[in-house]
Amino acid sequence: MEISPSAPRIALLPAVVRDQIAAGEVVERPASVVKELLENALDAGATQISVDLEEGGTRLIRVTDDGAGMGPEDLALAFTSHATSKLRDPSDLVHIASLGFRGEALASVASVARCQVISRTAESETGHRLSCEGGQQGEVTEAGAPLGTTLEVRDLFYNVPARRRFLKRPSTELGHCLAAVQRAALAHDGVGFVVNSDGRRAYDVEASMDFLARIRRTFGAELIDHLEAVNVNDGDLILSGYLGSPRISRRDTSRQIWMLNGRFLRDRVLSRVLKEAYRGVLEEGRQPVAFLRLAMNPAAVDVNVHPAKSEVRFRDQRRLFGFLVSALKVAVHETDMATPGESMLAGRARRLVREENPLQGKLADPGAGPQPESVVRERSGRPFVPGDDFISPGAVTQSHPANPASAPLQSSDPDSDPWAPTDNLQGPYLQVGKTFLLRALPDGFEIIDQHALHERLTYELLLQEVRAGKVEVQRLLVPEVVEVSRADRVLLEEHLESLSSLGIELASMGETSMMVSGLPARLRHPDPAGLVGDLIEVIGRTGEPPTASDVLEQVLHSCACRSSIMAGDVLSQEEIQALLERARAAENDQTCPHARPTRVRFTLSDLERAFHRR
Amino acid sequence: MKITCQREELREALSVISAVVPARGAKPILETLKLIATEEGLELVGTDLEVSARISVKEAQVDEPGVVVLPCKVALDFVRDLFSETVTISCEQDKCIIRGGTDQCELVTLDADEYPVISHFNEKDSFSLQGGNFSRLVQQTAFAAARDGGRYAMHGVMVEIADDEVKMIATDGRRLALASQPLDADGRKSSAIVPTKGLQLFSRVIEDPLDQVKISFDENQAGIRTQNAQIFARLIDGDFPHYSAVLPKEGEHLMEADRDLLSQKLRLVANVTGDEARAVRLTISKGKLELKGHCVGRGSADAQLEVEYSGEGSEIAFNPDYVLEGLKQCQTETVRLEFQQRSSPGKFILGENYIYIVMPITIDA
Repeated sequence: MEISPSAPRIALLPAVVRDQIAAGEVVERPASVVKELLENALDAGATQISVDLEEGGTRLIRVTDDGAGMGPEDLALAFTSHATSKLRDPSDLVHIASLGFRGEALASVASVARCQVISRTAESETGHRLSCEGGQQGEVTEAGAPLGTTLEVRDLFYNVPARRRFLKRPSTELGHCLAAVQRAALAHDGVGFVVNSDGRRAYDVEASMDFLARIRRTFGAELIDHLEAVNVNDGDLILSGYLGSPRISRRDTSRQIWMLNGRFLRDRVLSRVLKEAYRGVLEEGRQPVAFLRLAMNPAAVDVNVHPAKSEVRFRDQRRLFGFLVSALKVAVHETDMATPGESMLAGRARRLVREENPLQGKLADPGAGPQPESVVRERSGRPFVPGDDFISPGAVTQSHPANPASAPLQSSDPDSDPWAPTDNLQGPYLQVGKTFLLRALPDGFEIIDQHALHERLTYELLLQEVRAGKVEVQRLLVPEVVEVSRADRVLLEEHLESLSSLGIELASMGETSMMVSGLPARLRHPDPAGLVGDLIEVIGRTGEPPTASDVLEQVLHSCACRSSIMAGDVLSQEEIQALLERARAAENDQTCPHARPTRVRFTLSDLERAFHRR
Repeated sequence: MKITCQREELREALSVISAVVPARGAKPILETLKLIATEEGLELVGTDLEVSARISVKEAQVDEPGVVVLPCKVALDFVRDLFSETVTISCEQDKCIIRGGTDQCELVTLDADEYPVISHFNEKDSFSLQGGNFSRLVQQTAFAAARDGGRYAMHGVMVEIADDEVKMIATDGRRLALASQPLDADGRKSSAIVPTKGLQLFSRVIEDPLDQVKISFDENQAGIRTQNAQIFARLIDGDFPHYSAVLPKEGEHLMEADRDLLSQKLRLVANVTGDEARAVRLTISKGKLELKGHCVGRGSADAQLEVEYSGEGSEIAFNPDYVLEGLKQCQTETVRLEFQQRSSPGKFILGENYIYIVMPITIDA
């Protein structure tokens, strides 16, 4: 750029340029426009919002709401930056309850597109129209209009070719726009959403749908079966929503939705909360499915961190973190983790609901209040009842699979039925490949991974002993000497005492070796060298003492794994029965500590389906 | 070849061989046995490559010498179920006919040249001892050897000959059994780790406990020779724990109890312990031993018995299974337990030249 020597070097940027720069932060692609417009509509109190898109929003985005609308004076300021109805003075920033507040959005959008707004308030008989092209505002004129506001954004980035070139194919942009609408729809019960793309219905949610129904509409019905309801509060903090069973986990986080006071968030703290809650039941690299809403006092959180507002700052982060993790952990362990012939069951469940109980089925009507929650809980709380009730069409109660004739339509608790047959874990068992155990159930069969199950049991019992401070230690006659590096020896020496409280008796022996003189008595065939290696790895990686809770879990996992019945041990019938009986008594037997499932069940109906008898 | 022998003798020989030959071998040839008929008689040979056996059948009438290799299990089953007193075995080309009275079977044979080479007992440098003593040592120790898991060297029994004494030691790292027996060895020394399975087969072929048997140790195998049998076991190559270092000196606490009573009470209390991790706590005070078993989520059990003890009150906990297995082998009516403190080894004296050491379980470490 050529600068004449006499001209002042610094000049105030024209407003349009300022807005275009702001637009760079806020308006990235059509989806960002959709998000901003939806937020405006929601803040205006709309109950029905429709979004029309052309060419994925690159040609046209039109958002129509039935909200409060704007009078001509308000309309005149609509495209002016930092003009907002949502804040009045700085103190309002402390407790922001509306979605938007910066007053930048429309101005930014208007600076890079051809915009037109038509609005009518309830008091006014006629509506008004204002258009704005590339930041050049027109005049407010009268126009006929329904109650509410319609905002049109045409030819996004028509005046910013650099940006336009970065837009993806219309189908991709449409996907992003839909995602934006879906997030809004998931966050706002009581508001209906309709999306039309190039004249065709792409997505709709009715105003009367509740959260679960919205999740189903958005992500499909199969998902619903594997969700566990969460509903807890702590003072003015309310956490509600649904957690997915670990086995519907995904590689990406696209099914992880956090909402804070109706705002969709992508927050690192909250992602960590989920990771913590699923620790030990989710395999490495898998992402849980979760749809969660947080409601808290707006004063306890700062949303003014980023223009896109998808990150926030919590005031009492540590306490919040602890509360959320412990609440979610409970729910995670209540999800059903046994892996039945999944696709078969899901297909069947859908069909049954359609055929037999189209309106009252649990899937068709998730119901208000705690009802679906109790159904889910019941199912997962009794892991050994044969043929867990995936196929139950009865919405209110779980029909006991063994006496289907009597159970389906009563609303009584099946646990209270004294005549219901109990599964006494009788054999015969079949061991396949020295790895898997097969057992007939009254109405099907189950396959058990012996190593995974035994490992889980050993782990649970060890954890119990450690928590009770009563680890039984089997002393070794001949201490096992393990060679380690000098640095690792120093590392272990720091933690000898806390290791000993876990039942691992270590002592150093010379510069580069450690001596194992006692191990938890529960470990069947411990492998001291492997265990010491694991300890070094875990302690070295986390840098925390082995008694710190997450390290403890990892240490015990490795203890359990290093001693469990390995795949490849031949088991007698008695041994198998003993293993299953102990599993029944244990708290959590559905996955091994590495989060692989321990058992898979097939019901008679699955088999009938597999053989096309139905 | 053609031979005739007593059915019962043949059956007995076959059953020893089939204890060696695996039912499912890595190769078909390893599921077979070899019959060798010579002027001297009939010999049966079987192996799983770790343990090998040569059993001779007495009073076999050899009409025609020869060698044949045939499936072991079928041969044993057929001979066992035959009715007749005598059995005739003859061979034609690739068929072997086993006939008893009017009944017979024809078995497909395998190529005898493929059969592994099995050595003969080496009389030179062998040791001689009474069969009954040998099997007693095995019985007193082999149960303590590691069965699965643990160091490979502990999967066998250490047999040590020195100072005119034969010692057998077995341990799985948590308990150790040591038994010894005088032996006329002319000051020679020898030691080897013999796999438990082989050693148990050694004592199985000892028919008369009063007979002398001969044992020998080569570089890589141990052998035993009885009147009719030779068994060889490949040695375990590894470092057996230095057991002499872990043998406790005389303990501070010294208790004597009735063997049977202690076993019964221990078993009683052990009923209320965990399934996998089991511990019974022994609390000793003057003249009295109290036993306590407990299991989280199940309950607890108490028992007591009179014992000879005059020291200060003390306590120690053991896995009851380990103690009971030892007590089962106890030769004397009273058993002696010595220990220093709750975390040091418990030493059970189960007879003359018979020590059993059990490492305690410590709780609230």
